[in-house]
Amino acid sequence: MRIDTGFTATFRRELSRMGSRKMYLGAMICIPVLMALFFVSLLSPGLPLRTPTAVVDLDHSAMSRAVIRSLNAEEVIAIDHTAENFHQAMQQVQSGKTFGFFVIPRNFENDVLAGRKPTLDYYSNMTYFVPGTLAFKGFKTVAVGTSAGVVKTTLQSVGLTGDEIAPMMQPVATDMHPVGNPWTNYGYYLAPSFTFGTLALIIMLMTAYTLTTEIKMGTSPAWLATAHNRISVALAGKLAPHTIIYWVIGLGILSLFLGWAHYPCNGNIGIIIAAMLLMVPACQALSTFIVCLLPNPRLSLSVIALISILAFSIAGFSFPVPSMYGAVAIFSYILPVRYMFLIYVSETLNGWGIYYLRYYFVALIAFLPLFGILAWKLKRACLNPVYVP
Amino acid sequence: MIKVIKKWLVDTARVMARYYDIIFHDAGALLFFFGLPLLYPIVYTLIYNPEVVTDIPVAVIDHSCTAESRSLIRDVDALPSMQVYSQCVDLPEAKRLMASGEVIGILEIPRDYAADLGRGTTAHVPFYCDMSLLLRYRAFTAALTDLQLHISQQHTAATIDRVGAESLGISLPVNADAHFLGDTEQGFASFVMPGIVVLILQQSMVLGICLLAGTAAERRRRNRGVDPRAIPSAMPSAIAWGKALALTLLYIPAAIYVTRFIPWMFNLPAHADPFQYLPFLLPFLLGSAFFGMTLASVMKEREDAFILIVFTSVLFLFLSGLTWPRYAMSPFWQWIGGLVPGTWAVEGFIRMSSNGATLAQNSTPYYYLWALTLLYFLLAWAAHRHLRPKSR
Repeated sequence: MRIDTGFTATFRRELSRMGSRKMYLGAMICIPVLMALFFVSLLSPGLPLRTPTAVVDLDHSAMSRAVIRSLNAEEVIAIDHTAENFHQAMQQVQSGKTFGFFVIPRNFENDVLAGRKPTLDYYSNMTYFVPGTLAFKGFKTVAVGTSAGVVKTTLQSVGLTGDEIAPMMQPVATDMHPVGNPWTNYGYYLAPSFTFGTLALIIMLMTAYTLTTEIKMGTSPAWLATAHNRISVALAGKLAPHTIIYWVIGLGILSLFLGWAHYPCNGNIGIIIAAMLLMVPACQALSTFIVCLLPNPRLSLSVIALISILAFSIAGFSFPVPSMYGAVAIFSYILPVRYMFLIYVSETLNGWGIYYLRYYFVALIAFLPLFGILAWKLKRACLNPVYVP
Repeated sequence: MIKVIKKWLVDTARVMARYYDIIFHDAGALLFFFGLPLLYPIVYTLIYNPEVVTDIPVAVIDHSCTAESRSLIRDVDALPSMQVYSQCVDLPEAKRLMASGEVIGILEIPRDYAADLGRGTTAHVPFYCDMSLLLRYRAFTAALTDLQLHISQQHTAATIDRVGAESLGISLPVNADAHFLGDTEQGFASFVMPGIVVLILQQSMVLGICLLAGTAAERRRRNRGVDPRAIPSAMPSAIAWGKALALTLLYIPAAIYVTRFIPWMFNLPAHADPFQYLPFLLPFLLGSAFFGMTLASVMKEREDAFILIVFTSVLFLFLSGLTWPRYAMSPFWQWIGGLVPGTWAVEGFIRMSSNGATLAQNSTPYYYLWALTLLYFLLAWAAHRHLRPKSR
């Protein structure tokens, strides 16, 4: 004989509640999936090549044209504007047409040939980080290359051969090996991390919403009654349907990245799946804990929205956590999505195995007890539902 | 005609007064309209305020063990963005350090490093970089390029002296000077905050409008389709304008706070002339208000604002081109981004605030902001017409 704990009844009750409002399924399914598609589509070029830039040629000589040809040959910049003078080039930057410009000074060729050391100036607009950095990189390569080209020509004229000149130009070469992402593709870590962030945001908000809306509508005593007045069964029965849906969505998102979009995975995909399966209840547990602390829709949803939106910054998707102030960085530890992000990038890009990710998994598991710690408080609030708008 | 205009003006004023009454008696709305613009810029700047990534831990494997290799290690340690965390015996040891997250990069000095330098062949020094954040990769590449140039210049100068070409005056034929515009120290907060504060204005306003609209929808449901706090006789266009003007007035202090006080507090770039950028922000605030009213038309419950609006902050941040430039987006996403007032406001405001551009130079985003204001006014108007009690 089976003992009726009320779990099945609570589970069924939640399923029918979910079906009663379109927004429920819309928010739970559409938002994470559409955001995943958005990031994959938006970041599909990987690296934004051909940064719009300008060149100011004040010399108009054979040598200055050679420099411009070198600039045009750089893949990260596109010389699609010309300017007559510094002022005009600056105007183009200020009106957003270009992200930097390269100035070839007057009498450049004469000065080079006469050994008067002219200066090439290049300006990159760092108010937009990625284009500014790429413009800088392209300009610098050309500026250094110009210098080297002149030295090479001169050394050849005094009788040195190419084999002798090359090491003189570059006695030490540092060979950069971008491990796991040789394409320096932004999408490979930015798209998954921001999608996981969105998924975590929706999980936490919807968990709080589904719990507090019972209190708001005054249906929470009925909810508890279905679970025979046991808050543990009530929570399990209510949140289990959500967990299953988020698992399906989470795995769907992973297959979108690693399968459909062909994002690299140099490690074990099972580890990433395990992390995803743990992140969902971890987020639900954190959210439940906050609801237990503040059993009021507005307060708990406000706090969760605050945490989840700041998570995109504090979890270190773009600015590294070790470089933040300690008092700020410490908050990254209370975010499940931080561990998901660390496991995902480490395993897909480096693939070092679960041993090096053990603490992250422990952290994700450590969120789970949060379901129960303050459940008694939630039970009390549910038995006497008071709605404060 | 004059009567209609007079009624419209009176309606607008009444709607404004009523909207203020509702806002100041709603703790949730007060939190969104005042708390968010007040605190979020501070919290965000505190996150990014270290600005630059320095002293990233690096492991060094010295197979050469010579004076030259030790000099190289000292040079690496002296780079602002790198710190020699550990010297390892071999690559597996360094890899273990990297796997456990203790170091982010590995520099491997080959056995014949000094020999290559002395012999006059290029010495190749591999550097392995963890790619989990491109910000660190960027710092490493910039630092290593500088280091390589520094060593090359020393060496080239010495070699040229040796072959006697110095007399030809070619030791360094061309100088190159890099200049950074706007965010001169290449700091992260200085780059990201001018855009973020503009988006905070828009998002907090949209969230508040949606919260109030959801609450109004609940009131309507409780009262058989009539909102007791609404002014039923007011013209729909007057309702839309009344709310928009109320919010715009409310947001002028917030706009001045986030654009003047926050940059002053955290020493962020702020070169804009208030008489240039405040007129620029006017259509942005109006447009955001109508944009919020348009989105608010789908709100059915007070809590819907959280679930349906909060995530759009991430969406609008990316569409604005702050992290991923707009010229690299597909035309579809450029177009979608162009429909968000924040996109144009971020673009124009950053140029004015960081690059010292004038309003005239930002006429394109300025016109787009007015066009969006018109577009969303029409949509908000339609939404408010739809909301009128069916009995009328």
